[in-house]
Amino acid sequence: MIEFLQQILNGLAIGSVYTLVALGLTVVFGILGIAHFAHGSLAMFGGYLTFVFSNTMGIPFFAAIALAMPAGAILGMLIERLAYRPVRDAPHINAFIIALGLTMMLEGGNLLMFGADQVIIQTPYQQVFEFRGLFVSQLRLVVFITAVSLVALVTVLLLKTKTGKSVRAVAQNRHAAVLMGVNVNFVSSVVFAISSALGVAAGALIGALLALAPGVGESFAVKGFAVLILGGLGSLPGAILGGLVLGVSESLAAGFLSSAYKDVISFLVMILVLLVMPQGLLGKK
Amino acid sequence: MKRNFGFPLVVGVAMVLGALALPHAMSSPYYIHLLTLALIWIVLAQGQNLMQGFVGYVSISQAGFMGIGAYASTLLTVNFGFSVWMTLFLAPLFTGFAALLAGYPSLRVKGHYFSIVTLAYNMVIFIVLMTFSALTGGESGIPNVPRPSELNLFGHVFSFEGRSNLNYYALVLFFAVVATGVCAMVLHSRVGRVMLAIRQNEDLAEAMGVITSRYKLFAFVLSSMLAGLAGTLYAHYIGFLNPEPFGVDQSLNVILAVILGGSGTLMGPIVGAVSVTFLPEILRFADSFRLITYGLILVVATIFLPKGLVPLVMGLWRRLRSQAPSYKT
Repeated sequence: MIEFLQQILNGLAIGSVYTLVALGLTVVFGILGIAHFAHGSLAMFGGYLTFVFSNTMGIPFFAAIALAMPAGAILGMLIERLAYRPVRDAPHINAFIIALGLTMMLEGGNLLMFGADQVIIQTPYQQVFEFRGLFVSQLRLVVFITAVSLVALVTVLLLKTKTGKSVRAVAQNRHAAVLMGVNVNFVSSVVFAISSALGVAAGALIGALLALAPGVGESFAVKGFAVLILGGLGSLPGAILGGLVLGVSESLAAGFLSSAYKDVISFLVMILVLLVMPQGLLGKK
Repeated sequence: MKRNFGFPLVVGVAMVLGALALPHAMSSPYYIHLLTLALIWIVLAQGQNLMQGFVGYVSISQAGFMGIGAYASTLLTVNFGFSVWMTLFLAPLFTGFAALLAGYPSLRVKGHYFSIVTLAYNMVIFIVLMTFSALTGGESGIPNVPRPSELNLFGHVFSFEGRSNLNYYALVLFFAVVATGVCAMVLHSRVGRVMLAIRQNEDLAEAMGVITSRYKLFAFVLSSMLAGLAGTLYAHYIGFLNPEPFGVDQSLNVILAVILGGSGTLMGPIVGAVSVTFLPEILRFADSFRLITYGLILVVATIFLPKGLVPLVMGLWRRLRSQAPSYKT
C-alpha cells in the first residue's frame, strides 16, 4: 500500500509538468485552431538553454529559467509570424503539416547546437524528506510547486486581465472579436509568447527531473496532446486532471509493471479513455 | 458521365516501360539500389496519400505499420519457414488487421487529434520493436532476412539473390504499379468519392447520411496494408532488419513525400517518393543539416506550394497549351 502511495506521489510531479505542456498546447489550439506539435521540441530547446545557463555559466536554476523563458517566447512569436500566419486561412491540415516541419527544424537545430548526448540539469535540491514511510524528494516538490504556480499564474492572466479577456474572446468567436476591435494579430503573438514561455519552463523542469535528449520533445508533445484528449478538449480543469492522471498512471506502470513499457502503458490508457469516453474525462458531450 | 481513361493509361504504360529501361541506363549499381528503394517508397507514399490526400486525415504512423509488415514477414520466414511469396500477402494482411484494431478507437477523434493518436501508435510500435528483444532482436536486429526463392515463369528462371538485383527491382516495380492501380480504382469508385467528400466537409457528409467512420477506417486499413507491403519488400530487399527505419522521423518523411509531390493526386506520391529518396544524395554536402533542410522544405512547400509539384507542373503545361497559337479560323 505504501509503495502504491509512493508511486502516486512520484507521478504527481511529472504529471504537473504534463499539465504545463498541455496548457501551452491548449491555449494555442483554442485561439488559432493549430495543433502546435512543435511545442515539445521548443520546450526541449528551452531546456537545453536553461542547461547552458545554469550548468555552463553557473547561473542559479530559477534565474536560468527566467532568462530562457523570454528567449523561448521570442522564438514562439517568430514561429507564429513566419510559419503559421501565412496559412491562417488555408485548411487546418496545412498548419498541422507546418507544425511537423517546424518540429523537424527544431529537433535538427537542437541536435546541431547541443549535440546528441543526454544531459541532466543539475539543481541544488537534492534532499529527501520522509513522512510516515513516504519519501518525497525535494526536487520533485520544487518541480510540482513551480508547475502549479505557473499554471495558476496563466489561469489568472487569462481570466482577470484585459489581454486575457481578448484572448478568450478570440477563442470564442474570432469574427465577433474582430468586430469588437480586438487585434487578432496581437492576440496571436501574445498567445504564442505565453505558450512558448510555458513550454520553456516545462522543458527546464523535465531536464532537471528526467533528462534532455533528441526525440524527448516529440514524446512530450504527444503526451501533452494525450493529456488534452484524456481531459476533454478545450477544458482547463480537464487538462489539469488529465495531466495528473497520465503522470500517475505512468508512474504506477513503471513501478509495478515495467519501466521500459511505461510510455506504451500511458498511451494505452489514453486509447482506453477514447474507447469508453470519446469526449474525455471532463469534456462536454 | 464518360471518363477519359486513355491518356492516364498511356502515361502509366510509358512510365512503367521507362522504369524498366532506367536501370540499364544507369552506370552505377548504387543508383539501381536507390531506384529500388524509391519504388518501395512509392508503395508507402501511395498508402499515405489515401489518408492524407483523399480523406484529409494526416496519419503519422505509416513507418510504424511498415515496421509491422517488415517484422511480420521476417519472423514468419526466418522462424517458421514460410516462403517469401506467401508472406508478401500474409504480412500486409496482418498489418491490415493491426490497423483495424488501432484505427477503431483512434478514428473516434477528429482532425489533428487523430494525427496525435496515430503518432502515439508509431511510438508504441517503435518502443515494442526496440524493447521486446526476445521476438524482434531489439536494437541489434535480425540478420540474414531471405530473398524470395527462384521463380519459374514459362521456362525462364528468375533469381532474386545478389546486390542491386534487376529481378527484385522488377518485382518491386510490379507492386508499385499494383499499389498505384489500387489507389486509382479506389479514387474512381463510390468509396473514393465519399472519401473526397469527407475531406471537403465531414459534417456535411455525415448530414447526408454517410457513416464516415466506416470509410475512414477502410482508408486507414488499406493505407496500412500498403505500408505493410512496403515493409515486407524492404525487409527482404535489405536483408537485415532493425527498428531504426520505422521511427516517427520516417513517418514525417512520408508526409513530406506526399506534400512535395502533390497530395490527393495519383502522380504526386510517385514524384514525392522519388524526390525524397534522392534528396539525401543531393543534400550530401549538408548532411548534418538534413533534418533542418527537410523541415524547411516541408514548411516552405506547405506555405508556397500547398498543392505540390505535380499540380504545379500540370498547371504550367495547361497554360502553355492554351497560349499556343490555334489554327482554327
